[in-house]
Amino acid sequence: MQREMSEDDASRKAVAEARLAGLLAPVKGRLSAASGLTVLAALLWLPQAACVAALLAALIADESPFLGPWGTSAVFVALGVARAGLSSYAAGLAFSASDEAVSLERNRLLAVQSRRSPVLAGRYSSAEIATLAADKLDLVAPYVTRYAPAMARTKYVPLAILAVAFPLSWAAGVILMVAGPLIPVFMALVGLAARDASEKQMQEIGGMNALLLERIRALTDLRLLDAVGRTVTDFEAAADRLRRQTMEVLRIAFLSSTVLELFAAIGVALVAVYVGFALIGEIPFGAWATPLTVGEGIFLLLLAPDFFQPLRDLAAAWHDKASALAVTGELADMEDEAAVDMLGDGTSRSALAGPASVATRSLVWETPAGRQIRFPDLEIRPGETVAITGRSGSGKTTLLALLAGLAPAHQGVIEAAGHALDGDNADAWRARLGWIGQMPHFSNESLRANLIMSASDRDDARLGRALAHASADGIVKALPRALDTRLGETGHGVSGGEARRLMIARALYSNADIVLADEPTADLDIATADAVTEGLLTLAARGATLIVATHDMTLAERLDRVIDLEAGT
Amino acid sequence: MKHLVPIIRHVWSQDWWSLLRGTALAIVVLIAGIALLGLSGWFITAAGAAGLAGIGIAFDMFRPSAGVRFLALGRTAARYGERILTHDATLHSLARLRVRLLEAMAKAPFIRLPALRASEQLNRITRDVDALDGIALRLFIPIIAAASALALTAAVLWFLVDPALVIWLLAGYGPGTILALVFVAMRSRDASRSGQLALNAFRTRFVDLLRTRTDLAVFGRLDAKAAHVRTAERRMRDAKTENDRIERIGGFILSTTEYAAAAGALLIGALLARQGTIDPALAALGFFATLALAEILMPLRRGMSEIGRMTDAARRVNRLLESKPEIQTGTATSTVAGCPTALVMRDVGFAHEGAETPVIAELSLDVTAGEIVALVGPSGGGKTTLLHLAAGMAPATGGVVEICGRDIRDWDEAALRDTVALLPQRSALLSGTIREALALAKPELDDSEAWAALKAVCLDEVIEDRGGLDSRLGESGAGLSGGESRRLALARVILRRPALLLLDEPTEGLDRATAEQVLSGVRDYLPEAAILLASHRTAERQFADRICEILPQRTPAPLAI
Repeated sequence: MQREMSEDDASRKAVAEARLAGLLAPVKGRLSAASGLTVLAALLWLPQAACVAALLAALIADESPFLGPWGTSAVFVALGVARAGLSSYAAGLAFSASDEAVSLERNRLLAVQSRRSPVLAGRYSSAEIATLAADKLDLVAPYVTRYAPAMARTKYVPLAILAVAFPLSWAAGVILMVAGPLIPVFMALVGLAARDASEKQMQEIGGMNALLLERIRALTDLRLLDAVGRTVTDFEAAADRLRRQTMEVLRIAFLSSTVLELFAAIGVALVAVYVGFALIGEIPFGAWATPLTVGEGIFLLLLAPDFFQPLRDLAAAWHDKASALAVTGELADMEDEAAVDMLGDGTSRSALAGPASVATRSLVWETPAGRQIRFPDLEIRPGETVAITGRSGSGKTTLLALLAGLAPAHQGVIEAAGHALDGDNADAWRARLGWIGQMPHFSNESLRANLIMSASDRDDARLGRALAHASADGIVKALPRALDTRLGETGHGVSGGEARRLMIARALYSNADIVLADEPTADLDIATADAVTEGLLTLAARGATLIVATHDMTLAERLDRVIDLEAGT
Repeated sequence: MKHLVPIIRHVWSQDWWSLLRGTALAIVVLIAGIALLGLSGWFITAAGAAGLAGIGIAFDMFRPSAGVRFLALGRTAARYGERILTHDATLHSLARLRVRLLEAMAKAPFIRLPALRASEQLNRITRDVDALDGIALRLFIPIIAAASALALTAAVLWFLVDPALVIWLLAGYGPGTILALVFVAMRSRDASRSGQLALNAFRTRFVDLLRTRTDLAVFGRLDAKAAHVRTAERRMRDAKTENDRIERIGGFILSTTEYAAAAGALLIGALLARQGTIDPALAALGFFATLALAEILMPLRRGMSEIGRMTDAARRVNRLLESKPEIQTGTATSTVAGCPTALVMRDVGFAHEGAETPVIAELSLDVTAGEIVALVGPSGGGKTTLLHLAAGMAPATGGVVEICGRDIRDWDEAALRDTVALLPQRSALLSGTIREALALAKPELDDSEAWAALKAVCLDEVIEDRGGLDSRLGESGAGLSGGESRRLALARVILRRPALLLLDEPTEGLDRATAEQVLSGVRDYLPEAAILLASHRTAERQFADRICEILPQRTPAPLAI
């Protein structure tokens, strides 16, 4: 069991790593260039240190130095500016690479998810998908801009410094070589302890956010019950618990970085002490044939801190990789999900020619659970009003979606205006449709934009008439800013019946000649249901073909024909 | 900067003692680092000079080498202590800040409460507050520590090496650092803010597109809307790129400052040593100490890159904290025993700000103790609004509302809540036990009271089957059916034993038999209470003593086509 778990973890990690590599593939060249430049910038310290050491050594020996004080300082500054410039340039390259890779991924997510059929509800909510695209994908950036360059420096810079130090003094080289690799070993040990604590903390953070979200949603109730004070006290206790747990994690994390700094400090101190003793002649070993000179000693001392710097950078960026992998893992999961796309791509097309009729032949839909829904063959003539009835689960909503090309049927043919409906003509077919969904969603724009649904076709007079016909003009007048009001996402600000009447007005405005409506009178009181029914009949009176999925028999009886989906079975 | 000041003050006031000690340790860390490198440089150079002069035996190497080891270890220990102290203090003050924000949110006007999108608010509390954690850790403390360390180092170098070196250091480091900080602070604020706005726009538009994609596809607007989303994404990228550029320029200025300072120190030391004013070893000390001073800027680099984000987050957090609470602040507190005319409404009207027609106009209504009045009328007619007016959740825009004979505006919030209880159309339950759910209404609740209330709403058997008062509900009350949640919310409301009970479609989702049982249960539980209910069901109407019809206040539809 334990092994299975870890194998599963390992394969998940492999998937996430492969996805991360795939995400960065388009910008690979720039990333290697950035890594190379950052290594080069770090190595510029070697000549800087060398010229300083030469100058100081010359001062002690009272010789005239190779470059002189002015020359040395100038070279030191010039190399420093070059180093800073290179680092900055490399960081810019890395940033633009990560920005582009992340943006490509965001746009891909947008393109894929926006064409997902609404018939199959996916595991991920719209908010989750948007959060992944907007916030979480950005967690890849620190991996690219901090972790990867630090990793490149860790690979090459300490080795290069060792390569320079060893020829001067094997003892100094040994000190560095021993202190350096010890760091990852100790950090790994401390890291193991940190992982448990950090998992506990993540749970607590998740718990606290859920706790808080619930309470914010319930604020009206809490206030009406005069329970705000108690809620705040509870929350304070939870927040304090979180703080204590976070501190536990931090204590271990700090311990880990303290170990790192300790080794770095001891490494530098040992080099300094060794060099000092060697220069006085107290330590006769360590150098090669000739004893260590002052210049070489100072040079070694200047190199020591930079030997450890890449390791310190890498340690500071250590979590970046884990968070990037968490994101790409989620991305891979989302892509793994079985999904169906709608027909066409939802662009505006000129209307499909032909009569306003719909027919189906041996239409079959298979639910995700594998159940097959076989629909009776339909033959709906232009101008006809038809009620589709049947128990819930009999496929009324699915049938409407299939007719609108919002999902491909598993078998069978839909004849839309006399053409077999497919991906090529679905957009043109939909240009003739009106749609009144069961749960009207208003997008975060003005009510006018939600009703007109087209940037080029604004006609306020026609909209006013459409609203009047759907008896929705009163609804608009009672809103704070009339047609300029922004309704909440599920129509907050208008009731369910009002939202449906607004949708009828929208269908009227669009001059659709085939209107599909899904349960337009569900959950409405009798008076409101009547108003909605009248609105629908107004649509029909203007010549539109009307197909209504409903189990409201009062509504069904007022239409030309009733098709019971369960009649044949 | 003005946005950061209140936050810094808040952080400081929460745990100033820890912060003070943490700052002191931060200074120790920097000083020890500078001393370590300075001493090492001096030690090696001096040792080299002694070695060359052949007087190595006389050179006291044990004290300097002990000093080097002591500084190395002491620095590490101080670093650990500093981090623990400052992080604990910061987390402590941020937790307090979250609590203050929740309190502030709870005091927003009722009418705005449902409009606050919960996830947006949660973001504000979690993300904005998280963004503020760097104010003390990476900005405030590092600046103080850096300035102190620089001053101390300068003082020591003044005596040990030469005033010229010190003047160079102060003239170089001071302006260079301040230039970088000011540049980044000035420039990154706007970029961070527009980045934040673009991010919000991108997220909202994306969610919008996904939620309305059916309608968009049918109306052929999917690609246009996707382009709209991409515009926000482009703006988001532009802002991020601009931020990155500003940050890199700031970093470049800092690095250049460091190198220029070190090179200057080297030059001054070398020239002075040449003149014989100072020992070459002291020149080395000056150079190495200056080089180590770069360390004081390290923590500032990260803080600098966060200035924009912090200022932006602080602005929003402050605005919420400073928003004027809108709670009842009247003085009427007496919950008179027996409240014969619980609710009196005289010519009451209500209109949304800017709306052409009012929701309610000139409506008069009385409800007396023991009476049940049902409000009927088409949906959207103003029934819910009327209940909100009676509960003091919104101020009437005309007329007078009196509770127990006193103008509702004169009531104290807590007393009003004790007297008037409202079951909203959609009520929210919390996760936790049934007992906790009920205790929200009445903290000192005993079992018999809990069961009596549950029995009144016909929920006692359901809860018994689930395992009693200690059975748990999931998030937002998950685990109960719609009708059961409704009844639990109702039980919570009647436990308040109000003089005036306002119910908004209380039996929504219940079958007729249960609805009737629940209504008579409520009546029996609160025989004295005046009950006003908004209803669209026959069961509710039949239960009432009196019916009041509310007609929508709308201008007749124009006749022309």
